[in-house]
Amino acid sequence: MIERRDFLKGCLACGVTAATVSVASGKAMAAGSFEGYPDAMGVLVDLTRCVGCRSCEAACNNEQKLPEPDLPFDDSSVFKDKRRTTEKAYTVVNEYKVADKETLYRKIQCNHCTEPACLSSCFVNAYTKTKEGAVIYNAKVCVGCRNCMIACPFNIPAYSYSSPLNPLVKKCIFCYDTRLKDGKPPACVEICPQQVMTFGRRADLIKLGHDRIQANPGKYVDKLYGEKAVGGTSWMYLSSVDFDKVGFDGHIQNEPIISNVKDFLGFVPMVLSIWPALFTGVHLLATKNKDGHHDHEEGDHQ
Amino acid sequence: MHAVKQKMILGITGILMMLVSNVCFGAGIPDKVSIGSIQKYYAPVSFNHAAHINKLKDCGLCHHHTTGAQVTDPNCARCHKNSGAQAVVSCKGCHVADPFTPEALKQQRDQQPPVYHRDKPGLKAAYHISCLGCHQKMNGPTGCQDCHKRNDGGDAIFKSGKHAPKAPAKPKTAHH
Amino acid sequence: MKQFLTRNPNTQIINSLRKDNDKGRPWTLMEKIFLGLTPQQYLSQAMSNPLNWVFAVIFLIGFPVLIGRYIFGLSWAVGDPYDNAWGLFLAFGLFGMVPLSSSGFQLGSAVEVFGRHDFEPIERLGILNGILGYFFAVMFLMVDLGQPWRLPYPMVVSWGPEAVLFLVAWHVATYLSVQAAETSTAFFEWMGWPAGKTFVKKMALGLAVAGIILSTLHQGALGALSTYAPGKVHPLWYSSSFQWLYFFVSSLPGGLCMVIVVSTIAVKTMQWRCDDTFKNSLSKLQIALAKGASMGLITYLTIRLIGIAHDNKWAYLGTGWGAWWMFEIGFGVILSLILLTAGIRNNSVALVRLGAWTTIIGVVLNRLNVYMFTFNWQQGHVHIPPIREIIITVTVYSVYIVTYRAILYRWPILFKWKTRYSDYAVLEPQPVAIAEAEAASSK
Repeated sequence: MIERRDFLKGCLACGVTAATVSVASGKAMAAGSFEGYPDAMGVLVDLTRCVGCRSCEAACNNEQKLPEPDLPFDDSSVFKDKRRTTEKAYTVVNEYKVADKETLYRKIQCNHCTEPACLSSCFVNAYTKTKEGAVIYNAKVCVGCRNCMIACPFNIPAYSYSSPLNPLVKKCIFCYDTRLKDGKPPACVEICPQQVMTFGRRADLIKLGHDRIQANPGKYVDKLYGEKAVGGTSWMYLSSVDFDKVGFDGHIQNEPIISNVKDFLGFVPMVLSIWPALFTGVHLLATKNKDGHHDHEEGDHQ
Repeated sequence: MHAVKQKMILGITGILMMLVSNVCFGAGIPDKVSIGSIQKYYAPVSFNHAAHINKLKDCGLCHHHTTGAQVTDPNCARCHKNSGAQAVVSCKGCHVADPFTPEALKQQRDQQPPVYHRDKPGLKAAYHISCLGCHQKMNGPTGCQDCHKRNDGGDAIFKSGKHAPKAPAKPKTAHH
Repeated sequence: MKQFLTRNPNTQIINSLRKDNDKGRPWTLMEKIFLGLTPQQYLSQAMSNPLNWVFAVIFLIGFPVLIGRYIFGLSWAVGDPYDNAWGLFLAFGLFGMVPLSSSGFQLGSAVEVFGRHDFEPIERLGILNGILGYFFAVMFLMVDLGQPWRLPYPMVVSWGPEAVLFLVAWHVATYLSVQAAETSTAFFEWMGWPAGKTFVKKMALGLAVAGIILSTLHQGALGALSTYAPGKVHPLWYSSSFQWLYFFVSSLPGGLCMVIVVSTIAVKTMQWRCDDTFKNSLSKLQIALAKGASMGLITYLTIRLIGIAHDNKWAYLGTGWGAWWMFEIGFGVILSLILLTAGIRNNSVALVRLGAWTTIIGVVLNRLNVYMFTFNWQQGHVHIPPIREIIITVTVYSVYIVTYRAILYRWPILFKWKTRYSDYAVLEPQPVAIAEAEAASSK
């Protein structure tokens, strides 16, 4: 029968050892930040080149075998509303009338973040960031909690709510299965007549983007949107006007979304370790009755 | 003897002038160019080269320096200020049809030193950025089908014409 | 039932294991279900209760709509909310009900951990409130999930441990087991299975501590979930550093006040079911619970204000959303504090009961604000759920109330079960031979 005192001594010894070991190995194993896979591909989107032809939407619909759209892809009446991605459209183009003469178009699709919010929030690990750079989705494990839709700062994932038996998340997958896996550019990049989108390694595109800004003084806002936003995205943007004016969130955080929950998650093992002793201690302090015994020690008190 | 020499000088001058004029004034330069690489979705573009030459006169506006014209873009002039005519002047001579294949990307990455033509658009983009850019400034045709009409393949992918979706009972678009 | 009993005052509503004040033959399960009335008597008293007619209408409309959600798909019930993926089922049914169900761990730990056995008359109600709230939160989840048959996936098929929802899923599953164990004592008494009860009683302290651990974490986690969407929740309802604390701290008064509200409803509408201990100690206990709740509320008010100062959001108070924030805090927190403390000071249980109502409304309103009303506030319009979503929510909540009432009618929650095996101060069950000999000698 172990004495309470010896038991507590043992706990203390183990605890100190564990703490020391973890501090020593802490530096090597501490969760830092993920800079991205070195060969991850990306796309640089130059909004000054887009003319709103919607060929990219057509190509995506064709490549991903999406359902028929409501209107033809050459119908420009869609521009009167600001659209977002849906279960039938993995990419959409919106029109922004900025100044009297300047009309810009923005292509919206999954940005394939380096540390995606969707992936960080998924409790069944349905998302994967592949080494080629795509953020892909495993339909076989998705439960339909839609936390990814809540988490995505760009409001990209859509859900096929209309399916009774197999509703799933629908979003751009960077044409991973059909093209990116083999190093080929996605369908939208290939069809674009103006090369709004430049495909290449993300690291190279960052240099290219800054070079393009420098080579055309006054043409672009001096920023690559997505270079830093939410930890960096694979799809980045160049614009001739402030990003706020063409539908981007100008106040988006630079840290990846997962860093918002790291402190709380780190607290979890602390509670699991500290609460038992803390409240058992409270119990012992609170339930000592007059003759110095605890309720339990008299046998069963209930 | 003097008369023969005169005739010879005249003759050679004449031939030289003819050669010069032929070279400068269009021998070997096509009047019309048919661009058929787009046959998947569009009928070929019938490009009226002669009309553009007559209108613009400066070959360098489209052909950079490759026809011998002086290059104006300061980014190009850094290296090509004294570059003259090239053997190949057609767009597809330098602008690649598929600029993003793994091979093309690797070639760009591996060039030593890694500074030449890093932002060179592909062939399709070269056409559009050059043509559309100028047309937008000079009130030329800017619609897709103004230069190349869609064929059946194009209608199919754009879900247009006889491939258009039937009018839905209650059209709904998701929007903010 | 009240009217039935006034008309038939000699009816013996079952409150013991055996007939004739625990001396006759054991009641059968069917008799226990009908409370000792004949089925016809039971039906007639049910029909004469106007509340049951309200429920009948709700279920007549609601059940077909609920079934329609599964046959036609989620969009038939909730539309295609791409930007507002979480609607009423979660904002009310899960985020709203869970803090009000924190009474389980609070009453359980008050009695078992802190040794406050004076709370025992209301302990079982607190624990029942807890398990029913969590169970129906899971029911709401089964309605909301796209593929509810895949609910076990984060346990056994594919793990995403970096997700806060993973923690919530595991904790709620574990905590439901803890609460089921804590509730089982009442169930075993009702069934007449003393061995089950003694087995669970031995784990009482461990279960209570486990309950505190799990509740701290998942009440906080439900708040942490909103930190995935910092730009989407209005700044006055959002704190990058303290969101989980807001949710954990507000769950404490929420749960205690829910017990005050439910016990008030019980003592007023089910007086026949409550025993004297319960009735006589209720006012004192409700005031004691109010003391705890008011401490929780003042703490909550303080940390909400600190959060606004921390991120310097004072300017937002002058906007339209600021006015709404002041209503939520003014009604749900400040008014509640005034009512509860006035009730405590003046020993007025009526004020305490009113303050309990404003508290629980305030907590639910806060959850609705975070996850629904202010969500995507920058888009400029408030998402109003479609009518079928509202109908289903009301239906499932009505099932919750009906289940709650059915258990309170039967199980020894509001009263002590008269049987030699289960008094609060007992004891090992006696072997049958001795019991029979005793019975024989006492005749």
